[in-house]
Amino acid sequence: MNKKSLRLFSAEVAMGVGSLFFVIPCILLVLAAFKPDSEIVKFQGILPKQWTLANFQEVLGNPEEIPLLRWLLNSVIISISTATLVLTVSSLAAWSMARLRLPGKPLVYGTILATLMVPGQILLVPIYLLLNTLGWLDTPLALIVPAAGGAFGVFMLHQFFLGIPKDLEEAAALDGCSRMSTFINVIVPLSRAPMATLFIFTFVGSWNDFLGPLVFLDSLERYTLPVGIALFQTSYFTEYGLTLAASLLCTLPTFIAFMIFQRQIISGMAASGMKE
Amino acid sequence: MKPRASGWIFAAPYLTLFTAFVVGPLVFGFALSLFRWELLSNVKPTFVGFENYAEAFRDPYVHQALGATLRFVWMAVPATILLALVIATGLNAVAGKRQGFWRAAIYVPHLLTVSVAGILWRWFYNKEFGILNALLRPIGIEVPWLSDPAWAMPAIVLMTLWWTLGGPSVVLLSGLQNIPVSYLEAASLDGATPVQRYFRIILPLLRPVLLFVTVMHVIGGFQVFGQVYMITRGGPELSTRSLVQYIYETAFNNYRMGYAAALSWILFAVIAIFTLVQFRLMREERS
Repeated sequence: MNKKSLRLFSAEVAMGVGSLFFVIPCILLVLAAFKPDSEIVKFQGILPKQWTLANFQEVLGNPEEIPLLRWLLNSVIISISTATLVLTVSSLAAWSMARLRLPGKPLVYGTILATLMVPGQILLVPIYLLLNTLGWLDTPLALIVPAAGGAFGVFMLHQFFLGIPKDLEEAAALDGCSRMSTFINVIVPLSRAPMATLFIFTFVGSWNDFLGPLVFLDSLERYTLPVGIALFQTSYFTEYGLTLAASLLCTLPTFIAFMIFQRQIISGMAASGMKE
Repeated sequence: MKPRASGWIFAAPYLTLFTAFVVGPLVFGFALSLFRWELLSNVKPTFVGFENYAEAFRDPYVHQALGATLRFVWMAVPATILLALVIATGLNAVAGKRQGFWRAAIYVPHLLTVSVAGILWRWFYNKEFGILNALLRPIGIEVPWLSDPAWAMPAIVLMTLWWTLGGPSVVLLSGLQNIPVSYLEAASLDGATPVQRYFRIILPLLRPVLLFVTVMHVIGGFQVFGQVYMITRGGPELSTRSLVQYIYETAFNNYRMGYAAALSWILFAVIAIFTLVQFRLMREERS
């Protein structure tokens, strides 16, 4: 073995050993979901001695008390709506900021950028009172609409739009395209990659949001998965088998989506960190 | 190009939402912090000036929550940056297709939503039947992970490292990959050893990304809530209750909206100070 392949080999061994720390807890979650409670509350080895589906049957067979599929549906609806709304309003605004005539633009865009630094928690109490006045508490709107005021999408797409050559829009205008049709037929197709990144980002953020649904939602059948599962722990905290089976079920959709969109998710993650 | 329609039309939907749900609440939230505003009581909101802020400075629970938050940041952030750098360097050394495989393996915990990750680790940390003590018991050790104030925060930090390291590792990896190969080749030709190349060329070139990741993690660390809420609920003896959890409880368990608003402005101020200090350090190092 020459020096280079020895280095490659040792790097790979190191990665293999290191990644055990990340992977083993996930495997334990999967295995535990198939264990009877007696094996969970008394450690008897890593593999189940007696494989069982009872946990899953109980979790899925009791939609009155454990509306797991309802929570899943709520999470899907809220995350897709949030990502769609954010993408729509942010891209229109970002294009306007990048290209169109807008009196007072530096002030407006400066204000938007300044709010990027504001931590979300500072808005929690006033938005709660605002939603209370609007009567939106305990509805999906409470989570979808306020998210669309966020500045990140505008900032990200604005940077991208600035890089699109102006000739393209001018050519479209000469051909008689309106502003809107230029945007839809010329700009949007060119911006698929950053738009997909923003969509995935917003979707994941909304899917994993914990504090928002915890504060703004109130009834069992309106919960999203993260809050539903959290409540589950409070009410069934002695029944680890059930809780872990429910946890596994609610991770499956994310896992499948990750398998399909792995490259987009990771490169989006990397790109967002690279931008300064 | 002649301006036809005004840009306002395109920006209007966003600007409406931005005004209603960001600028408005910011202004309203600050005003709120100057009031005694209790949601479920009959007392009318009364203007108290900066009394809520004065109370916060005296409030021992604020000191405790700030202390717990600082301890979390101090324990979690340097470890995150250092380990992410090690992982990114390791990933960068693995070639081609298998790099994607290891990268995905490290990223997998982040797919678990915070309540699932919390439930899982609460089970691991269980003193009687958790796997960690089950593995430690044969060598005569039993750690009171979540029942001893000295162990609870380190336990939260360990779980956080497991859960979040994938993100910064991926970001630093792409930073490493952006370093032009020609720099490294030139250094090799000049006789630099791999260790010299790493510390003299790679790390200095990585510095902007490294500092960006650090700033983001400090900001995120000050906002820690979900995993604490799931694993310890702030206990034992409030030793892990973070500022965000205290704000949450003040507002939504005690319904003291004005006080909670003041606390969240204090949190913002703390984050802003730390961020400014970091940017200042960055600039000084650069010049």
